[in-house]
Amino acid sequence: MGLCEQDTIFRYGGFFMGIQIDALKCIACMACELACGYHRDDAFALLSSCIVPYRGREKKNYVGVILKEEDSLVAARPEGIEINRIGEEQDPEKEADASAKPMLLRESCDLCDDQDDGPLCIVFCPTGAISMT
Amino acid sequence: MEYLASDKIAIVDLGSRDITEEELEEDLVLDKIGGAGITKHLYDQYASAQSNDNGPIVLGTGLLTGTLVPGSSLGIMTAKSPSTGKVSHVPLHLDAGIELKYSGFDYIVIKGKAEKPVYLWIHDGIVDINDADELWGKDTWTATDDIRSEMGDDLIQVLGIGRAGENGSDLAQVGINYWQSADRMGFGKLFGEKNLKLIAIRGMGLLEISEPEDFIEDCAELITTIRSNSLMDMQGIAATAAALGEEDFRDWIGPLTHRHMACFNTPVATSTFIFTDEDPALLKESTVPEPGFLLTDIFPLITFKKAGLSAKETGAVLKACAKYGIDGAAVAELSAKSGLTSPEDIEKALPDLKGPVECAGSSVFSAWAAVGKETDENWERRQAVAYVMGIHPIWLQMAPDLTEEKLLDLAGLGTELELPQETLDEVIADILV
Repeated sequence: MGLCEQDTIFRYGGFFMGIQIDALKCIACMACELACGYHRDDAFALLSSCIVPYRGREKKNYVGVILKEEDSLVAARPEGIEINRIGEEQDPEKEADASAKPMLLRESCDLCDDQDDGPLCIVFCPTGAISMT
Repeated sequence: MEYLASDKIAIVDLGSRDITEEELEEDLVLDKIGGAGITKHLYDQYASAQSNDNGPIVLGTGLLTGTLVPGSSLGIMTAKSPSTGKVSHVPLHLDAGIELKYSGFDYIVIKGKAEKPVYLWIHDGIVDINDADELWGKDTWTATDDIRSEMGDDLIQVLGIGRAGENGSDLAQVGINYWQSADRMGFGKLFGEKNLKLIAIRGMGLLEISEPEDFIEDCAELITTIRSNSLMDMQGIAATAAALGEEDFRDWIGPLTHRHMACFNTPVATSTFIFTDEDPALLKESTVPEPGFLLTDIFPLITFKKAGLSAKETGAVLKACAKYGIDGAAVAELSAKSGLTSPEDIEKALPDLKGPVECAGSSVFSAWAAVGKETDENWERRQAVAYVMGIHPIWLQMAPDLTEEKLLDLAGLGTELELPQETLDEVIADILV
């Protein structure tokens, strides 16, 4: 389990409001990625999404979801949530993931603050893998 | 073509290695809409110009492919089937359709024959023809790994052939990455005849939307309605089997089931990954490099199960079929007919298997989406709509909310074009000729 449940709770001055991801419900359909991309670009595009199903281990069927937040990169893995604070030194024993660097360059999740129905990733996720707390 | 398109058609001549580009004219879209409507048009246009081979292979996507319309995963591959002799259409599902849609091209015509093995690398609005001497002879898994490693991108989608296609088998399949595709038409043989080992695709483009807010609002209403529908319980390939009356299929496959996987933006996962060489309950990343197989086609599963193979044996056989690049449905049918029931015997027989096979069906659309049922006019009509608009063909069979009227409305909202029902009727009639 990641180190940051505590950190997350205190991130917003005592209130935690953010995206929750249940990776086991995810079917890797990428609707969230496209919906977020639309929110960023007012067009259909995938490169600027801050939420991305991780698809790089296809032969092993190892699928999770990565979310870029303001201070952290959330990896919703099937075995549990891992939260990595941006800028902190990572475990040198752990293999760096090729998907992490491009995510760090992306904008952070703003919970679709301009959308009446809230985060579009939640609106478009077909399985309820993404929710709001 | 300003909206929901890249506005480009590539014409690739494998013989001369010339690549030319044409604009995707709005008049063509108004006349043929998209997807199989236009791939068929391009096939007819470029096939008539050459008489010395089986004609071109045309790749394309629908107007709604790669949008937030539920089920918008579909790419299309159109060519003359060596199995049936008809100009036929195969769905490019999983994530292949979306990478093609965002690759910078709406359609790609591949004509002629390369002098020696080549592969196409389609990316960023560019088509490269690269030598494939080092890939030729390799199984589809090794070839996919090699391409992804060479290009440094694990998300490249690979449409490729194995030894079956290279050796000219009528049952050769164009696979998608490591997996069996919906190619029941023998298109793998066409790739082999053209000395085309594989097509690698990566899309990072952007599609403008004519009326974005209305389009998104309609899509959001659709998915909200769909989410509350009981068909959302049909996740995974066992659910499809149960719907066909194969109730004990779930018990057969259940002990090996790892997770269900969906095609792009398709609310119901029609594929299931089984672990044959790892604990299926494992959640962490497996240390076994190839722990199992993604089951994408119900027909061979049911056939092998009836022949008495275990789920594990079936997974092993289908993995061998995928690597060899041969249609698992055809292998299942022919093995059952000749009484082959051991995985070892079936794998040994792969190079010598010959059709004809019934699983190819009689339609111009892949029988993969018939999910075992007899095809009829209603099925064929629905397939045509799926292939023209760019919607997953199994999903569209399940989703009554996605009416033709709704899909045409959405296409109009997205493109600013008026696409009446009469046009869709004409396009479908032309495809089904």
